[in-house]
Amino acid sequence: MADTHSVIGTKNKKGQTFTDTWAMMNDAPRTPSFFTGSEVIKEALRRASCDVMIAYPITPQSEAAALIGELFAEGYIGDYFRGESEFAVMSQCAGAAFGGARVFTTTAGPGTMRAMENFPMWSGARLPIQMIVTCRGINSPLSIQPDTLEIAYLLNTGMLVWHAETAQDFFDWILKGYMVSEEPDVHLPLALCCDGFFVTHTKDVVNLTPADMCLPPYDPYRSPVPCMDMECPPVRMMRDPFVMKSNYISYATHASWQQEVWAAVERSRKHTIKWLNGLIETENTDAEVLIVASGTAVSQGREAIRLLEDEGIRCGLVKIKVLRPWPGEEIREATKNAKHIIVPEFNVTGWLAKEIRATIPNSERVHSGPRVCGGMTMPPEIIVSEIKTLLGMRTMSLAGRGS
Amino acid sequence: MSKERIKISEDLYDIMPSDYQDLVKSATYGKEDRGWKDIGNSKELIEQHSLCAGCPESMAFRYILASLPNPEDTVMVGSTGCTSLVFPMVAVHNIHSLFGNQNAIASGLKRALSVRFPGRTKDVVVLAGDGATVDIGLDMTLQAWFRQEKFTTICFDNELYANTGGQESGLMQKGFVAKMAPVGKLFDKVRLPEIARESGCHYVVQCTVSKPSLVEKVVRNAVMIAREIGPTYLQLYTPCILEIGKNSMEGLQEMRDSEKPTERFAYKEYVSEPAKQLLAEIAAKDKEKKAAAKQLASQGA
Amino acid sequence: MTQYRVLPGPEHFLPPSAASMGICLPNPGEAHINGVIVPEEQAYEEAAKQFLMAKVPTLFPGPLVLWAWNEKAAKKATAIRHLYNTLKECVQPGQTPMLIPMPDYRPKYPKINPEVEINPNHPNLTIWHNKIDCCMFIGVHCHQANLSLKIIRGGTSCYTIAMCAQAGHEDAMLSFRDASVEKIMRLADAVKRLKGTVTPRLTSAKSGASN
Repeated sequence: MADTHSVIGTKNKKGQTFTDTWAMMNDAPRTPSFFTGSEVIKEALRRASCDVMIAYPITPQSEAAALIGELFAEGYIGDYFRGESEFAVMSQCAGAAFGGARVFTTTAGPGTMRAMENFPMWSGARLPIQMIVTCRGINSPLSIQPDTLEIAYLLNTGMLVWHAETAQDFFDWILKGYMVSEEPDVHLPLALCCDGFFVTHTKDVVNLTPADMCLPPYDPYRSPVPCMDMECPPVRMMRDPFVMKSNYISYATHASWQQEVWAAVERSRKHTIKWLNGLIETENTDAEVLIVASGTAVSQGREAIRLLEDEGIRCGLVKIKVLRPWPGEEIREATKNAKHIIVPEFNVTGWLAKEIRATIPNSERVHSGPRVCGGMTMPPEIIVSEIKTLLGMRTMSLAGRGS
Repeated sequence: MSKERIKISEDLYDIMPSDYQDLVKSATYGKEDRGWKDIGNSKELIEQHSLCAGCPESMAFRYILASLPNPEDTVMVGSTGCTSLVFPMVAVHNIHSLFGNQNAIASGLKRALSVRFPGRTKDVVVLAGDGATVDIGLDMTLQAWFRQEKFTTICFDNELYANTGGQESGLMQKGFVAKMAPVGKLFDKVRLPEIARESGCHYVVQCTVSKPSLVEKVVRNAVMIAREIGPTYLQLYTPCILEIGKNSMEGLQEMRDSEKPTERFAYKEYVSEPAKQLLAEIAAKDKEKKAAAKQLASQGA
Repeated sequence: MTQYRVLPGPEHFLPPSAASMGICLPNPGEAHINGVIVPEEQAYEEAAKQFLMAKVPTLFPGPLVLWAWNEKAAKKATAIRHLYNTLKECVQPGQTPMLIPMPDYRPKYPKINPEVEINPNHPNLTIWHNKIDCCMFIGVHCHQANLSLKIIRGGTSCYTIAMCAQAGHEDAMLSFRDASVEKIMRLADAVKRLKGTVTPRLTSAKSGASN
């Protein structure tokens, strides 16, 4: 039987040393490297001791998915293949996870939507699969451009949902993500989201851990449900039998099962706070004006704050790193001094602002916007303009030049 | 898992309900020549099920579970439908996840087991109804075959959606009047056995489950070929007596009537060249073993 | 800080999971009682006391110890038998310790025999039938243990203990973590030590397994 701890210090077939993850992420030397987001995904996977990766082409994740294929060819991944559709791929991922493998996949936009039936199945079956979501538009007419609407659909699947701002987040969180989602009291799938193109296709300096260190392997026998490999009891075991005979107690079983999934989401809090150093990050939360955002909108917010400073307007920032579990307590605390809470988003519905409104007292303080979608960029100037308008200050129209 | 590991902790043996004690004492895990003849003299790998009285599916389940060559290292994958009401009672690890994704689950599972247990036999067997195999899951059924995934697909063909109450399915006969086919089904029964052959299956059989010895033979062949060569497919007629208006005791006759040479479930078989070779090798080895045993017996006597 | 406490039920038509009420699991070396983190030492005492107070203190071993799938499992089974024997030795007349297995997790239809087994889909049936007022789960996969614990808290007044080999269970009224042979033996020692110091609930008019 695999014992995660006993392998630490030993080498895998590629000569990498299985390393205590905390030491690898926090103490090992880092090498600055200039990479695209897709290349960073590959580099993280090189160090992830991943058993099975299943790929399917859809922009903007195709490059990352193909690069991981190269890793497979080099011998870093146990198995790798291209599935026939995202629905099938997510089921193939489930099959591999049922069989006790550490599993990785990537998807985007319409792919996420096509695969959607799988996600509550994953969490109900307690499968700690990691899925990268490089967000893009989902509605007709087709768009391959960045748009975060699909995250709204993932929020109620019972998956852990994290939203990376930068390629550095991506690198660290892919590796740390397995540590959180594979905890026996959590053991849930993780949707690690980023804004497509903005993160995947731009180059950035990322500090990488040594390439000769890798995560300890996944131990499926610590799972909260039996691994389906005929190596553990009970042998009379179905994952997962129907509990829907028409009587109260069957319904209560299903209800308890659902509650247990969400209890596991809650339990991930403790581990996530440890690994990510909190579910949110804050700057200057004593300011009257506060930008609260996730993903790339955080970067745009930072730039807006710099521009506002030049004009003598002080503005704080809350970066939401983790959307599930929802950092309600942290957001209440961080926003308690704010008179105006600005929530810039890359989607048409403003789902993040809605979540924040439902969380804090005096929710009229939440200003949902500015919002862009369909691939539009969000110039920091429009955040500045929105804030100045809120403060009753004159601001130039940024829409165009007039007639 | 080796047969030796399927055992009850000694200090808690006495409190285990008897069906679990029987499972350890007299089930046929690890028995090399296990087969349908063990039914009645050994503990079956299936407990009481909740299918309708007389359902041929229950016969099929019993024959298949008695015939798997390596149940202690087999994982089964099911799909939504009547079969999924039986699977909780089956004493090999089995998976239900969604309706129609069984061959995708099995693809991932088989690959994970190959990565985790290199050099060891781990058989994967899919068992699903015709709606799951041919309609909602057809894409994943075929793609697994195209990719030459090394597992067996068994389809329980009852020619309709039974668990949801008798709706038209792709494997239903043309002209049959059913729910969602109010004027009779307008197109032919999908010819999945032929499609399976063209899609790369190395062993394809269509038959009924009227003869346990036949079921044993085709299940063993299908699993052995899938283990060594590539995908295999069995399409077994398990009529839904309820939906075709038969009584509990009429299932067997319905199958016998339908397997006549001119009928739609006449025995049909396809074996690829590499599979033929493998079957010949297995037969030769069996013959050798039997001869050796015979010699040993005569020496002893 | 949450004010919620994990207490014997019957709690609610559909009680919340303790985790959703802000109850956190103990760290290594700790346990929890009613959702409050305590040093493990204190939990041995409390668990032993609860067993000795109960009319029908019961152990529910699950598949991970019922099946001798590895050496550790078989050793745990021996320790569990020892704990059960200790309970039998240490209770007073009128108290009836029980040892009831959870052999697997499938929903059993048409019904289980609640005298000889417990099932995570309707554990309350076994609690009610045997009038169990204190129980401990051990060797049950965490997901199924949590289903059981929550359903029991929802519909019965049974005091629940979890001897968990992983991170513990908030849905139990008392939970250990990182269960081992040694911990099971320490619990048996605590029972022995407290023998005769605890008054059983025998005279109580209301049966522990009400509702």
